[in-house]
Amino acid sequence: MPLEEFKSSQPLTMGVELELQLVSLSDFDLTASSPDLLHLLARKPFPGHVTPEITESMIEINSDVHTRHGELVAQLRETRDTLVRAADTLNIGICGGGTHPFQRWSERKIFSKPRFKEVSALYGYLAKQFTIFGQHVHIGCASGDDALYLLHSLSRYVPHFIALSASSPYVQGNDTLFNSARLNSVFAFPMSGRAPFILKWDEFEHSFFSKMEHTGVIKSMKDFYWDIRPKPEYGTIELRVCDTPLTVERAAALACYLQALCSYLLERKEEPPAEDDYLVYNYNRFQACRFGLDGTVVHPKTYESLSLREDILTTLRRMDLHAEALGGSAALNHLMQVTHMGSDAHYLRAEFDSSGSVEGVVDAAIAKFRGN
Amino acid sequence: MTDLLVISDELAWPCAMLLAWLAGEFVHRWTNLPRISVYGLVGFLLAQAMPDLLVPDGSSQVTLLANIAFGLILFEFGYRINLRWLRVNPWIAVSGLAESALTFGAVFSIAYWQGMPPLTALLLASLAMSTSPAGVLRVINEERSSGQVTERLLHLVAMNCVLALFVFKVVVGFWVFQTSGSLTQAVSRSVIELLASAVLGAVAGMLVPALLRSLGTLARDGTVAFAMVVVLLVSITQAADLSPVLATLTFGLMARHRRVTFTRTQRNFGAIGELLTVLLFVFAVSTLDWQRVVFGASLGSLLLLVRFATKTVAVALLSHVAGISWRKGALIGVALSPMSVFAILLLEQTRYMGIVLVDELAALAAMTLFMEVLGPIITQRALIRARETAKEEG
Repeated sequence: MPLEEFKSSQPLTMGVELELQLVSLSDFDLTASSPDLLHLLARKPFPGHVTPEITESMIEINSDVHTRHGELVAQLRETRDTLVRAADTLNIGICGGGTHPFQRWSERKIFSKPRFKEVSALYGYLAKQFTIFGQHVHIGCASGDDALYLLHSLSRYVPHFIALSASSPYVQGNDTLFNSARLNSVFAFPMSGRAPFILKWDEFEHSFFSKMEHTGVIKSMKDFYWDIRPKPEYGTIELRVCDTPLTVERAAALACYLQALCSYLLERKEEPPAEDDYLVYNYNRFQACRFGLDGTVVHPKTYESLSLREDILTTLRRMDLHAEALGGSAALNHLMQVTHMGSDAHYLRAEFDSSGSVEGVVDAAIAKFRGN
Repeated sequence: MTDLLVISDELAWPCAMLLAWLAGEFVHRWTNLPRISVYGLVGFLLAQAMPDLLVPDGSSQVTLLANIAFGLILFEFGYRINLRWLRVNPWIAVSGLAESALTFGAVFSIAYWQGMPPLTALLLASLAMSTSPAGVLRVINEERSSGQVTERLLHLVAMNCVLALFVFKVVVGFWVFQTSGSLTQAVSRSVIELLASAVLGAVAGMLVPALLRSLGTLARDGTVAFAMVVVLLVSITQAADLSPVLATLTFGLMARHRRVTFTRTQRNFGAIGELLTVLLFVFAVSTLDWQRVVFGASLGSLLLLVRFATKTVAVALLSHVAGISWRKGALIGVALSPMSVFAILLLEQTRYMGIVLVDELAALAAMTLFMEVLGPIITQRALIRARETAKEEG
């Protein structure tokens, strides 16, 4: 199947996808409940969209396309309230977080849908330990060239999104010492990582994608698990490094930060992206996963060592005018708070200390998601 | 010769359990049938082959052990009940009440119409309301099932059992009043007994989590502490003629809702739980007599069919309004089939009161035997059909 034509969409529009955990309220382990939840939700109109995911203990919600922070956060809240009501009817807990703190991957069930079964057969245990929960943000782009330009310019800011969204410190019952352990599961896949450094859509289509397709390794864009990937059929780029935050408010704030950054980058005042930017990419990404806001990153152009927290604060300030023009100032303020108060990973660790168990961590995440 | 007899007498239970366990493992591996069905079948056959060796009297150690095994299961059961859910989604409680009431009415009418004395028919009907928590929980854990059928099944079984226990005790109280003429004795036999058992369980349910909390991280795994207290509760209730069933169930329920710190308990209480389960299911059928089963087979089957139909229809009819599909609703009703253990332990308790129901009720003997073996299989099939088991999809 040749690559679809890049469909032009209104620049700087945004959409959010959130993968959420379905949890038993008796033992706080994941519970295979998505078929029941989807059945109940199908009875009434749903604000946004809801779809099954690869395991039955996960559910994905999508927002509509928005341009302003206020609309996005209002819709996400409405979606959350509908979900929480349905989950209450069925005795299920719903929460964010990039990983479930103590689920055992061997106990997961794969949702019966041919594509999911194929993935499971191909990847073996990787598919099951892929029971991780991420936020994806789409940003509309006028053209394929714009999309690729943004994709590569954003590479320098990927650690910001990892650190700000980090909510997966616990895996299989233990503290991993990472703030986002979820991304370690993604990196295990052969097609993960970064997109090749190509800035022209024509070239991407003909000298990269068609060759890759010819090798038989991939069939469609879906087979690439890149940190940022173009989505030609939507006319967007999709940022995929964020853990699902514990609240929908944080999810909306992250989307608006990305929107403001794209608006800034499209002015093309920064030095253009270069292949050499990626020399420090994996190291920076690791720092963000491991240490979160306390990480140290290397600037790809100047090779200067920066505190990730400071770098985020500087960037947030620089985005002020763009966010104001787009109606997203509240979002940036929210993230400013995060740099002071700590990320969701920090919150979850504090909950572990006060409750003394990973079950207590899940309980706190459920309460946090409900927004009270 | 006498020495040999004594030895074989002492060896009877361990050997029976070993045999039942072995048969359970093999049959489960070959046919995927629930292990507990096999335990029951083996127990019944052995009890028929060696009637003098296996049949326990009401006060024996085996009865106590069986009660402890049952108590552990009931504790785990209570721990999985979420009272808040019953408030948020009242239709679950409504279907539980409707299904129990319908079964009670139908079974009573048929038994009465078949010429059974009204009091006996009432007792039989109250027992028919119940679903075996042991059978259901063992199958759920064995299949590692999760979903709405599983979740609602647990809650309905708990309601069934509490209702059955309550009605049963009231009828027994009435019986006592009729035979002795003493109202005080009748009331103390039922209401006070139930109240005291519930209070005992509730107090334990408040104390143990508090104790675990004060022990801090040392006691993160509460399995042993909870098991100890279950043993204690069963011993106290048995000595004081209270209801171990209600006490352990309330204990689990209270421990869940009062959990100040979140402790993990092993499913089935680990290996010891498994061991006691074998004993429980062998014990439950060892009291049944083959001749009575044959004698009561026709009425028993009729009543079972009626019970099956009333439960399935009632839960299915209320399923849509309660938030699930008709199909899953019907499957919950079907999965409510297992009956035996609960009824038998209840009867064992009343035996010493001079109400020798097992002996009078041939139909009940037949019902419990069928449901001991068939019930878990039906529940298992229902869970598989509902696609809630872990094995099916691998």
